[in-house]
Amino acid sequence: MTTTSPPETNTPAEPAGGPTPPTANSPTARQLWTRSRALLAALLALLVFGAIYAYAVMQSDQNHNALDPASPDPWGSRAVAQLLAGQGVTTKVVTTTDQAAAAAGPDTTLLVAVPDLLTGHQQSALHKATERSGGRTVLLSPTPASIGTLAPGVDALNTASVRVRSPGCGLPAARRAGNATTGGIAYTVSAANADSCYLSGTHPTLVRLPAGNGGDTVVLGAYDPLQNEYLDQQGNASLALQLLGAHPKLVWYLPSLNDTTALDGGQQSFLDLVPSGWDWALLQLFVAALIAALWRARRLGPVVAERLPVAVRAAEATEGRARLYRRARARGRAAEALRAATRRRLAPLVGIPPSQADEPDALAPAVSALMPDPTIDVRTLLHGPPPSDDAALLRLADDLDALERSILAKERYANP
Amino acid sequence: MALTGRTALLAAIGALVVGLLLPGWSGILAVEGILLFGILYDLALAAPVRKLLITRTGDTSVRQGDAVEVHLTITNPANRLLRARLRDAWPPSSWQPGTEVAASRHRLTIPAGERRRVTTRLHPTRRGDRTADRITVRSLGPLGLAGRQGSHRVPWTVRVLPPFTSRKHLPSRLARLRELDGRTSLLVRGQGTEFDSLREYIPGDDTRSIDWRATARRGSVAVRTWRPERDRHILIVLDTGRTSAGRVGDAPRLDAAMDAALLLAVLAARAGDRVDLLAYDRRIRASVQGHHAKDILSALVNAMAPLEPELIESDAPGLVATVLQRAPHRSLVVLLTGLDAAPIEEGLLPVLPQLSRRHEVLIASVADPRIQELAEGRGTVDAVYAAAAAEQARNERLRTAQRLSRHGVTVIDAHPADIAPALADAYLALKAAGRL
Repeated sequence: MTTTSPPETNTPAEPAGGPTPPTANSPTARQLWTRSRALLAALLALLVFGAIYAYAVMQSDQNHNALDPASPDPWGSRAVAQLLAGQGVTTKVVTTTDQAAAAAGPDTTLLVAVPDLLTGHQQSALHKATERSGGRTVLLSPTPASIGTLAPGVDALNTASVRVRSPGCGLPAARRAGNATTGGIAYTVSAANADSCYLSGTHPTLVRLPAGNGGDTVVLGAYDPLQNEYLDQQGNASLALQLLGAHPKLVWYLPSLNDTTALDGGQQSFLDLVPSGWDWALLQLFVAALIAALWRARRLGPVVAERLPVAVRAAEATEGRARLYRRARARGRAAEALRAATRRRLAPLVGIPPSQADEPDALAPAVSALMPDPTIDVRTLLHGPPPSDDAALLRLADDLDALERSILAKERYANP
Repeated sequence: MALTGRTALLAAIGALVVGLLLPGWSGILAVEGILLFGILYDLALAAPVRKLLITRTGDTSVRQGDAVEVHLTITNPANRLLRARLRDAWPPSSWQPGTEVAASRHRLTIPAGERRRVTTRLHPTRRGDRTADRITVRSLGPLGLAGRQGSHRVPWTVRVLPPFTSRKHLPSRLARLRELDGRTSLLVRGQGTEFDSLREYIPGDDTRSIDWRATARRGSVAVRTWRPERDRHILIVLDTGRTSAGRVGDAPRLDAAMDAALLLAVLAARAGDRVDLLAYDRRIRASVQGHHAKDILSALVNAMAPLEPELIESDAPGLVATVLQRAPHRSLVVLLTGLDAAPIEEGLLPVLPQLSRRHEVLIASVADPRIQELAEGRGTVDAVYAAAAAEQARNERLRTAQRLSRHGVTVIDAHPADIAPALADAYLALKAAGRL
């Protein structure tokens, strides 16, 4: 009787011409629909939500950035923009250098929110436009990266703490505003007729540079007076209104990264380098790559899995014990194991029963008698104290081997 | 549905057309339109996969290490030519590593209404049952741009039998057995011999073996002759618990134990003994009982083929109870198990007397050559510590073996290459000593 029966699943082949049962395993169209409709529904939901989200994003064109005249955040500047609107000043937000340069004119104040974001190319373009316009240009905390080009005659010296300072100059706007939250960057002025206000030590944090044709450039070390959070403190609002409201039009320039004027002419994207027409060929190549991916991704049937046998080596526990000995520096145990093995192998060779192999008084004299070599202390070798260091353990192992070999050789010589 | 490399190549060539002739959406749309038309045309005209009729024939069992052929007969009932690639999927261990892709893929061209046969050649690397997985067919259209793909399930199982590599030791052991037979077909009566026949007295025969009663009946002097006992019962027990799972060399201990069991079984069957097999851990995994000497080998290999080591502690009391139930009369019980100290001392030793009281017990265990390798390591600190650990392990094994021997049990502890002949020799020695 065999409980494990021979395989029974093998169906014999039908005789030629006989009916063959259908064996197809691929799903029918209905099964496909049943299986994939949940996925399709999920995909549809994703598309709908994606469309709604895209629509919402396109609707909200308010950028919630710092110093944005449309932002009500503490760091935004909506309050000052609204105050200016109440004074009859129209505010226009621009994001590119071209727009800002085009808007510069004698009845216009141009506010450059973050001049450091501008590249050298943009700075010189902007300066060229504002230099002769006759309007006012306000630069908010420019550092050496931008001030040299945008405001020649003023140089940034060091940083200064932002706190309330007194005007300390003859500029009417500053005198009327009184104390204001200023600081940020302290400047040195080399131009002759500049106004230097709100000193940090001896260096101004607000500089007004008059230009030849009635225009001027105002360099403000800190942008805090324009932010919603600080506008209502001290004379901040007054200072901001006077600096930005000097002309009926205010152009608020917020530099952005997608400004193509930022490219200094020499840099071009990869697509610009492709000859015209071939970018379409690239698109087609992309389609080809997609088809190739589809071709390679479709397998000829799924991977077959099977149960694997256990792969634990039988000697693993012994190797683990060896590492434990090593880590614990268990020289005593290791030496005893080696000695016990040698004693076990030597005992039958010298005629001692295995039960007495571990007795020092039985084995050692028998071994010494067989091999009268005074240089080897057999008793210490076979029953001695644990070795003092690893080198002694190595020596012990070699000595035990040598002893075994010599006894074996003697035995062979005696009984060939 | 499946695309081909040709589609991707055409699309890449389409990039040239777009770049040179028609840069713009019109060119892209033209190329894609043509491609799409070709793909749809191919899909429409490819021979259907679902309607194919597939049957299998071929071998159902193979010895591990040999190759086996399984044939597929594919009938194309549609009225279109089938150009297809076919994959006959089997578990990965059905092939030597690296050859599975070439061995499982076939190219087919079957005209409408005809049938073809393809042969899948399996070369299993492990013992056990191999069950065919699905057959996947990719039927390509006339342009070779796209195709329909689908699967069929045609069940088939190939049983991979233990390799029985130790059969190379069989001739020498059979010679020993014959020698034993011849030597003991003698006049000396003793333990382990039974009455064979009466024959004429020849000068030189021991006069003590003269059967006087037969001499009186015959009128001539007759002596009795004896031969080794026959028709003894041998029960081979394979322990398939966790100690049999450890890998020794490339294979688990269980495989070496099976090899030894097979050699012993064949030898004992030739010697006229009855051989049964039991594989046990916490329950009976396989059992062979009451087979004749002629078919004992096939019964054993069939029972052993699907055995796998189980990662559970063996139940020694249950094992002993099962053995006592299977072998009510005096038998030779060969227990192939591990010699690890803890399972033997806690499991087997307390119940061993029940077994050894009634039966002759032989315990065989597969030793690990790696331990010997470690024990011979010298030269570095790591190697000496490893040697010490290996000697410790060997000392423990030896102690366990000695404790077992005290119960009158023969213990064999040998490397996988030596265990089969060592077990056969132990059996022959027991037979010669008449201890069966």
